[in-house]
Amino acid sequence: MGQVEAHSAPGAQRAADDKAPEPALIEAAHVTAGYDNRREHTRLIALRDVSLQVRPGEFLAIVGPSGCGKTTFINLIAGFVKPIEGSVRVRGSEVTGPGADRAMVFQDYALLPWRTVERNIRFAMENRRGHVPKSEQAGRVAQALELVGLTGFEKSYPHELSGGMRQRVGIARALVTEPEILLMDEPFGAVDAMTREAMQAELEKIIAETRQTVVFITHSIDEAILLADRIVVISKRPGTIREVIDVDLPRPRFDEQADVQRSPRFGEIRSHLWSLLADEALGAKQEGASR
Amino acid sequence: MTETIQGATRTNDQQIESIHVSRFARLKNVAITVVNLTIFFVIWELVARAEVINALFFPRATEMFAALFNGFADGTIWPQLSHSLSNFLIGLAISAVIGIPVGLLMGASKVADLILSPYVWAMTSLPRVALIPLLILIMGFGNSMQLTIIVLSAVFPIMVNCMAGVKTVEPSLVRAGEVFGASRPQIYLKVILPYTLPFVISGVNQGIARGLVGMLIGELLGGGGNGLGFLLDKAGEQFDAPMLYATLILLAVMSVGLVQAMRWLEQHAAPWRDISRA
Repeated sequence: MGQVEAHSAPGAQRAADDKAPEPALIEAAHVTAGYDNRREHTRLIALRDVSLQVRPGEFLAIVGPSGCGKTTFINLIAGFVKPIEGSVRVRGSEVTGPGADRAMVFQDYALLPWRTVERNIRFAMENRRGHVPKSEQAGRVAQALELVGLTGFEKSYPHELSGGMRQRVGIARALVTEPEILLMDEPFGAVDAMTREAMQAELEKIIAETRQTVVFITHSIDEAILLADRIVVISKRPGTIREVIDVDLPRPRFDEQADVQRSPRFGEIRSHLWSLLADEALGAKQEGASR
Repeated sequence: MTETIQGATRTNDQQIESIHVSRFARLKNVAITVVNLTIFFVIWELVARAEVINALFFPRATEMFAALFNGFADGTIWPQLSHSLSNFLIGLAISAVIGIPVGLLMGASKVADLILSPYVWAMTSLPRVALIPLLILIMGFGNSMQLTIIVLSAVFPIMVNCMAGVKTVEPSLVRAGEVFGASRPQIYLKVILPYTLPFVISGVNQGIARGLVGMLIGELLGGGGNGLGFLLDKAGEQFDAPMLYATLILLAVMSVGLVQAMRWLEQHAAPWRDISRA
């Protein structure tokens, strides 16, 4: 327990001030973000003064209570949302909108239902930005499908597939253009528990192969520990970084021999995260009750 | 990985199976419909023969079929039927050509929606019959009046549905378009329009239903002297019950045929939509 804290405290400060040996791939500096409600002339602040650096090749998980601004953070990196204050930079240049260097995997898959698996994956290659020559597309689709274990399903429609398989298509679509950064917004939130575990193991394998930088939002503490190199805990709204935790568990973590989930270190990180989040959840509840 | 493959085969089997089931179900459905209709007409015939109801209002089924056959043979029905049918199809085509783009525009542009929606909603909810005196005043008893009432009946449901389609596009699909490099026009072309297609089709479906009402109103009240409405009117005036029923049957067949054609179109234009579940 003590070790965990030594690794991470005080997380937010460290992430902002530390000059890492490698330049950060994604850098959020004092970001405040929110949404305007034009009808009521109010502004909801989702994130306040968040500073964070993501290193190249890192798997970063973000956890926090519902409505803490996790999704806002990933939307900032994706370029859907612009910060009210502060800046988000990718490779040193400010994010002004979506770009070919960042792909996203959506919680609800966001596949085009009228397109087959193959044509859904092609969608990432046929548009104005990030266009891949037609002659190259078929080979890339085959490669991506093999990566996610869906070879043979080229002609299936999304509605013919299970939730887990749909998300494999979502992952294949995101990986097919080989973006530097993979943004995943609770990608396994809508699949059943068994499939979820299998998908986590496969994601670890895939990322080990493709070496993407991943920003991964999840509700699940176990999922975060099993997948991430670092875990960012965000406090209840307005979200601030509560703590950044290094997950120093050996990889591959889904190896049956290693049995990481039963190692004492896993237990330590887990209970530490648990108490942090319980704190947040309790705080959120009390605030809700007093309102 | 083995799990993937197992899961994969399972889904494949289900696919093949479900095709078998649906083919069998279709044959069964046709058989049921044939038996069903036969029983209906037999009961009709028996009830009419028992003369429980005055034969003046309720002819035998066989008399109705005879009227239908003779009407086609002596050329009283066909000109009216083709007049109605062609009028209706032209009216529907005009409604689609106007209604679909305007509806899409209203869905896509807040300004267009703001400007047009009061008129569209007023016209959608106003009973069409109310317009007949005005239309007769403007256009007289001719064909153009009949056509206009069809268009005014069909165009607004089409418009409203297309607008709803654009407005209900899943936000995550639009986001996916943005993430994967689509420009604004590409998002419209590749995400929003295909998403809206089923709405367009159900709009046209409602347009058919409303348009048929408009067609009959125009022919019954417009007094143009042609069309199935005129046939109904004449048969009623002459106490020709078999002809009256024959015309009603024709109308029913016409509307069922049009709706079925649209369902076929829907299945082929939007195969990803599971019609049987809806």
